Amino acid sequence: MNRYFRELSVAGALGLLLAMLAVVAPAFYQPQPLLSLATREAPTLVVACGMALVIICRQIDISVGSQFSVCSVGAGLLAAHGWPAGLVLLASVSIGALLGAFNGVLVAGLRLPSIVVTLATLVSLRQGLNLVRQGEFVNLPDGLQWFGLSQTDGQWTLVAFALGLLLVFAVALRYLSAGRFVYAVGTDTEAARLAGINPQRVTFAVFVLMGALTGLAAMMNIIQSPQVQPLSGNGLELKVIAAVVVGGVAISGGRGSVWGMFAGLLLLACVSPTLTHLHIEAYWEKAIQGAIILLAVVADGLRSRKENR
Amino acid sequence: MRTASNTSAWKSAVFSHEGILFLVLVAEWVFFYHFGTTVNRHDVVVGFGTIDRQFDILRHSCEIGLLALALTPIILTAGIDLSVGSLLGLCAILFGMLWHDAGLSIPVAAAGALAVGALGGGLNAVLITWLRLPPLIVTLGTYSLFRGLAEAITRGAVTYTDFPASFLFLGQERWCGLPTQAWIFLAVAVLIGLLVHRTTFGRSFRTIGFSPEGARYAGLPVGRRLALVYLIAGVVSALAGLIYTSRLGQAKADAGTGYELFAITAVVLGGTSIFGGVGSVTGTLLGVAAIAVLKNGLACLPVVMRMNGAEELSGMLTGALLLLALTGSVLPKYLSNWRASHHSARPQPPT
Repeated sequence: MNRYFRELSVAGALGLLLAMLAVVAPAFYQPQPLLSLATREAPTLVVACGMALVIICRQIDISVGSQFSVCSVGAGLLAAHGWPAGLVLLASVSIGALLGAFNGVLVAGLRLPSIVVTLATLVSLRQGLNLVRQGEFVNLPDGLQWFGLSQTDGQWTLVAFALGLLLVFAVALRYLSAGRFVYAVGTDTEAARLAGINPQRVTFAVFVLMGALTGLAAMMNIIQSPQVQPLSGNGLELKVIAAVVVGGVAISGGRGSVWGMFAGLLLLACVSPTLTHLHIEAYWEKAIQGAIILLAVVADGLRSRKENR
Repeated sequence: MRTASNTSAWKSAVFSHEGILFLVLVAEWVFFYHFGTTVNRHDVVVGFGTIDRQFDILRHSCEIGLLALALTPIILTAGIDLSVGSLLGLCAILFGMLWHDAGLSIPVAAAGALAVGALGGGLNAVLITWLRLPPLIVTLGTYSLFRGLAEAITRGAVTYTDFPASFLFLGQERWCGLPTQAWIFLAVAVLIGLLVHRTTFGRSFRTIGFSPEGARYAGLPVGRRLALVYLIAGVVSALAGLIYTSRLGQAKADAGTGYELFAITAVVLGGTSIFGGVGSVTGTLLGVAAIAVLKNGLACLPVVMRMNGAEELSGMLTGALLLLALTGSVLPKYLSNWRASHHSARPQPPT
């Protein structure tokens, strides 16, 4: 009980919010809008799985939004050139992995602080994309949308795929030695090294995986609409980091789980529809997101103060 | 070394970080002087070297310069503040609101904006020092919170304009030969320079950055000193917000978006270690100048003009510059470490 206190408290908050919505705005519980909401959040969940790993490893990656945009536009252009869907998917994941590897070399290889490295790649990638594309949309060929499935089938497939991936990550982090390495490096790099783990290699792998998952998520996003927006990834990093931190993954590394992140993500995903149903203007979303991040870290800070006494 | 101390002092000045940066700055300026063209309002081609152009560069570097000055003590303590650009925007909006909607006079509204800056900086300070939370995640949260509040207040649409000429004087006119805001920038630079380099109080920032535990054992009030640097950053961000509003003649919610990158880059480029403990205000000023000349010079290159992407290109290059500066700063240490481990790996001759 105590061990999962943090995860359970987030789940409790989510339950309260859902109960409140059931009373105040029962219109929220209609199958079709809920499925649409879940589909919209499925790519975010995939990116958040990667971010949970990065933060457990005591790093951070704020460039995922730009990576997402670059992968989306890259994949869109290849698809428009007539590449088959499978190859486009592979290309998107590879572009993401390459971008992640670039961050990884700088962070793991040169031991630069990840926040500054990824701040630089965040801006460079975004501005580079703006420079090359000048904000142009990419029109996708017809066959790509929902991979040729009907819309409802496509939506169910995406949601099921994202949930499956979450399950894989939960199991891998808990039971595979590779997953335990990430916790070990995040808890104490030096101790991990003395235990025979190569911390630099683990950190590098985590950044590559982060990039690959971002590429995968970008693909999951572009098949939902007939056009690729070049700005689709803007602000994604905050959304994902918020979900991870709210879900109880410690920013100081080594503690937390993807289940907590999942609860945090669901909680944050319900904020925007709640605002709509309560007739609060959508402009408050960013401020509320920031406030939720601060609340979560303050709660963690208060708790660790209590424990230290 | 004791003999010819004159030449070695000269040499160490040139080969210091600041010296190299100064040479880079000169090279950059000469490059744009040679290749850049500008068209003035009479459609006459004028060069990059005009005095107007220099004042333009100075004008545009004041806001980022102020943020960089505010970040220098923070980064010296091995901290970071990502929220300065967002706080700039929030203060600009609240200033416009206090003046336009609440009907306050300009000085009172400005004082209000500075107070909001102090509050914002104080929020960071309390969370970082009292709860001992990492500056990174706290200021990432406030980065989102401050910008979100600015957007919520203006509903993403309201822009405050029509400020009186007496206020626009601050950002658009000259006073005693220099752009007015440059005097404020210089004053803040001198104040922060004195604080960091000439007072025991400010020198403790470096001690904290070098080793927070050591500083605590040495009897320094680490929490209070840290709180102070984040508080200063909040007030200086608000000041930058006022200057921004005055320069453009309007206050809008996206004011200062992305400025934190330029400010952090200027500080790191200026030789301040991102790991804390090492750095100087002179370096930061040179870093600001290098970025401002780059930004302004790119806009006058014919190639860039044709591409219609000066803003994007300067953002991209600044990011690349930050990575290069960081890599350059750790590479010597990294190489010597590698060499040492390489040597120790060899079998040692028996003694």
